[in-house]
Amino acid sequence: MKQEISVLMDGELFEDEAESLLDNIKRDAGIPNDWEIYHLIGDVLRQPEHIHRDLSTKIRERMHDEPTVLAPRGRAVKQRMRTIALSAAASLVAVGVVAWMSLQISPEVAPQMAMQQPALRPASMQIKAGSNDYLIAHQEFSPGADLNGGASYIRTVSYSSYEAP
Amino acid sequence: MRLLVVFCGLLLAVVTNVYAEERPVGLDWLEVVAFAGHQTDYSGVFVYQYDNRDETSSIIHVTGSNGEYEKLESLDGPKREIIRHDGEVWSYVNHKMVQVESQQGRSSFPSLLPEQLSALSANYQAKLLGMERVAGYNAQVILFQPKDNLRYTHKIWVHTDSGLLLKAAVLGDKNKVAEQYAFTQLQIGGKIDRSWVKECDSAGLHGKPGLQQSAKDISPTNSGWVADTLPSGFKKTMEIQRKMRGKHAPVTQIVYSDGLSAISIFIEPNDQDEDDVDGLSSRGAVNLYHRIMDQNLITVVGEVPPRTVMQVLSSVRYNGK
Repeated sequence: MKQEISVLMDGELFEDEAESLLDNIKRDAGIPNDWEIYHLIGDVLRQPEHIHRDLSTKIRERMHDEPTVLAPRGRAVKQRMRTIALSAAASLVAVGVVAWMSLQISPEVAPQMAMQQPALRPASMQIKAGSNDYLIAHQEFSPGADLNGGASYIRTVSYSSYEAP
Repeated sequence: MRLLVVFCGLLLAVVTNVYAEERPVGLDWLEVVAFAGHQTDYSGVFVYQYDNRDETSSIIHVTGSNGEYEKLESLDGPKREIIRHDGEVWSYVNHKMVQVESQQGRSSFPSLLPEQLSALSANYQAKLLGMERVAGYNAQVILFQPKDNLRYTHKIWVHTDSGLLLKAAVLGDKNKVAEQYAFTQLQIGGKIDRSWVKECDSAGLHGKPGLQQSAKDISPTNSGWVADTLPSGFKKTMEIQRKMRGKHAPVTQIVYSDGLSAISIFIEPNDQDEDDVDGLSSRGAVNLYHRIMDQNLITVVGEVPPRTVMQVLSSVRYNGK
């Protein structure tokens, strides 16, 4: 169990394993304690200057000590709600107008925006056909070929097919 | 006396048991897979999935006195065919059979070296995950979980009787599949079509000119380039100079491997006018990162996460010969 908790904290458990473990933690009274101790150990290892022990208990205590405000606030809330609703409606209208204008004025706006998107997320960019030779050269010496056998050559085929004119 | 014998026997049993646990069982399976993949005759259909695409191909693998023969054919999209005889590979490109790869020096098997296996056990945790059925066969599922976040998780499904790899997946962040091979239909042994093997030998494929390079265009080198921050366990397996299409000067390639995946560093003089070559791109589990450093174009390619290729590239420097 302890081993599993430490694996969970390292983020190395699979989703279903993690879920069943969290269920167990909720059921067993002793485990939340372990959980805290492990985090304490982690904190000590990472930054020995600031150690928070029993932080959650202390926060709970402090919140208990806070005075409770009993003044009526109904109207203020309602008014704020109305403002939010109004501004939301206004911005919806604005979006509509902009969308309508862009449709009217220039049909190229939308494709341009679509093209800019990949630049924001460089990791999702596809490898360009011009780089295929690097992939083939790399593939030759990758240990994947030893395990997957001939199947690994399908990568080479699909790379070659990209550049076929 | 008899008691002593029983005690010794018990002790021995315990000791061997402890010893057996020392060596992760997953590694034994890897050796079995590497061996079976080369030694078994089989034919089947498999699906290769990456980046929301999938490609279905048929494969026939037979061994003979002349070595291993293998034929791969794509079943969807444009017709593509690959024939391999040991280290030599031919492919149909524009309706002509041309050689795409030739490694005379490459031994046909087994390719997993003991030092690779020890690097593997130092950097991955091997776990047996139980049995599953793939393509109608019982398979042992084995997970290789990296001990750091600089490599991907590998999951393999091995046929328990033959040791053939029935399915293999590379898992990225949050255990999402980055790429996967899986047999959907497979025949092991028995009557397998061998007619094309004779054709392959008699058609004189061996004399055909190469598509990109023959062995003489690749030569070992000591370039003086080094990378300082490779993830632990990555050992240099190769340093070569090679000609590449469209490049005036030869390109230096340095290959590192941790037993399950490899990282290649390519160094070449930057003779391109474009400045926008910098950047990261990916296909399946492979990530590629380009950067220009002091008039040189450096490219890092590997079946490792984006952060790893970027980290490796930033540590590349010229150390002098």
